[in-house]
Amino acid sequence: MRDALVCSVLRMPDRITGTLVWYAMICEREVWLMAHELEPDRDDARLEWGRFLGQMSYPRSRKREINLPGMKLDIVERHGARIVVGEIKSSSRFVEATRMQMLFYLWRLRESGVEAEGELRFPQERRRMRIVLDASAEADLLRVIERVRAIMQQPFPPPAKRITYCRSCAYREFCWSDDPEE
Amino acid sequence: MRKRLYVVSSGRLRRRQNTLVLVGEQGNRYFPIEQIEEIHVFGEVDLNKRLLEFLTRQHILLHFYNYRGYYVGTYYPREHYNSGYMILRQAEHYMDEAKRLDLARRFVKGALFNLYKVVRYYRNRGKPLEDIELSLVQHRSRLDDIRDIAALMQAEGQARNAYYAAFDKILEKPDFAFEQRSRRPPRNRINALISFGNSLLYTAVLSEIYRTHLDPRIGFLHATNFRRFTLNLDVAEVFKPALVDRVIFTLVSKDQIKASDFNEELNGLYLNDRGRRVFLEAWEKRLKSTFYHRGLKRNITYRRAIRLELYKLEKHFMDEKAYIPFRLRW
Repeated sequence: MRDALVCSVLRMPDRITGTLVWYAMICEREVWLMAHELEPDRDDARLEWGRFLGQMSYPRSRKREINLPGMKLDIVERHGARIVVGEIKSSSRFVEATRMQMLFYLWRLRESGVEAEGELRFPQERRRMRIVLDASAEADLLRVIERVRAIMQQPFPPPAKRITYCRSCAYREFCWSDDPEE
Repeated sequence: MRKRLYVVSSGRLRRRQNTLVLVGEQGNRYFPIEQIEEIHVFGEVDLNKRLLEFLTRQHILLHFYNYRGYYVGTYYPREHYNSGYMILRQAEHYMDEAKRLDLARRFVKGALFNLYKVVRYYRNRGKPLEDIELSLVQHRSRLDDIRDIAALMQAEGQARNAYYAAFDKILEKPDFAFEQRSRRPPRNRINALISFGNSLLYTAVLSEIYRTHLDPRIGFLHATNFRRFTLNLDVAEVFKPALVDRVIFTLVSKDQIKASDFNEELNGLYLNDRGRRVFLEAWEKRLKSTFYHRGLKRNITYRRAIRLELYKLEKHFMDEKAYIPFRLRW
């Protein structure tokens, strides 16, 4: 029995974040879990490493870590009239996902009247990648946002599927805790 | 891997800059805070609010035991994994009688299965335990007909009594005769060991619950009054045979714990300092020992198995996958 009251409280607010956009490109189950405030294991070694890397890299970038609703900008720099926001990642392995996350930030900034460009930064690879929100990128982004919204509204999480990302995912113990022989 | 800190000696536990220090008679001992998962306090320890604030920020639980080794309580810092969705789901499974009974029965079934496995293990090593094994099987087969939680707890108690009869046959040590279960106070050595081990398990499970989105106050088999932690008691039932009882069998049969490791007082028997240290060491070793997990496809510690058990419960509450308790595989 699922009462109507419980049901209405359980309905998720329509809050899309940069992280959800990132996950949508990798694992839909992760989007659902994250959207239901079921964050992964915070003591996961890779998460800790990512936090450490974000804190220790680019010590000379002055304005760092800006929190806005639904986004956490690792780096915000002003070069004359240009505003550059940067996202730090430990590797370029999921570059398409990271690009989408960045496009989301640029899109949200544009909505609030700030025209910025993006830069993906991979400090361990000594690499940077410029991201611009043009018309075709915007169309891609809107499709992803629609997908995130659809996943969030499902009553159950999409079933666990083994993909290569599972190996490094902080949800792996949550998803694979069951004994497969049961 | 973070460690658990057991404070057996007395002194003052303080925050000094960003680290933890125990100021005792033998001088200061420093413990890097990043390496600590939780703290168990057995000794007479003074502390202040500054320390509690520090531990809150570091998300470290502080478990207290009195000088007899009884669990006193836990400093449980404000929740840091919060999901309104999960709390409502957990509560829903408590309030719906059928769902609550179903989950309570799963805990008991899991517990009985593991009791059976322990008995079977020693039977395979030549101990005369056929009758007890049979009786556990019968107890387990009756669980499906039980319609309320009180009867379920009763059935669990009966099965456990049958199981306790195995202790004397497994150990064959007159100093450690079981006789019958006695709690407050434990009237003999083996009861003292069981009580002490169970307290350690309850706090270990509680510490893991803190690192999930579950609410420790909503238990299913053990009654909830929303003031005490009860979910940890439920989950502990499943692990007692695998963790507590096995530690006891090892310590006693290898004579690592001796009759002289106990003090007698007020009609009861309690582990003394030395006995407690030996037990804690063996306990810690047991939690850190590993086995192969078929879902994760790698070795995990028993400590981790407790966390995985909680994840399985979360999935049960989400109606994603019905909870199947941890099973000993020997």
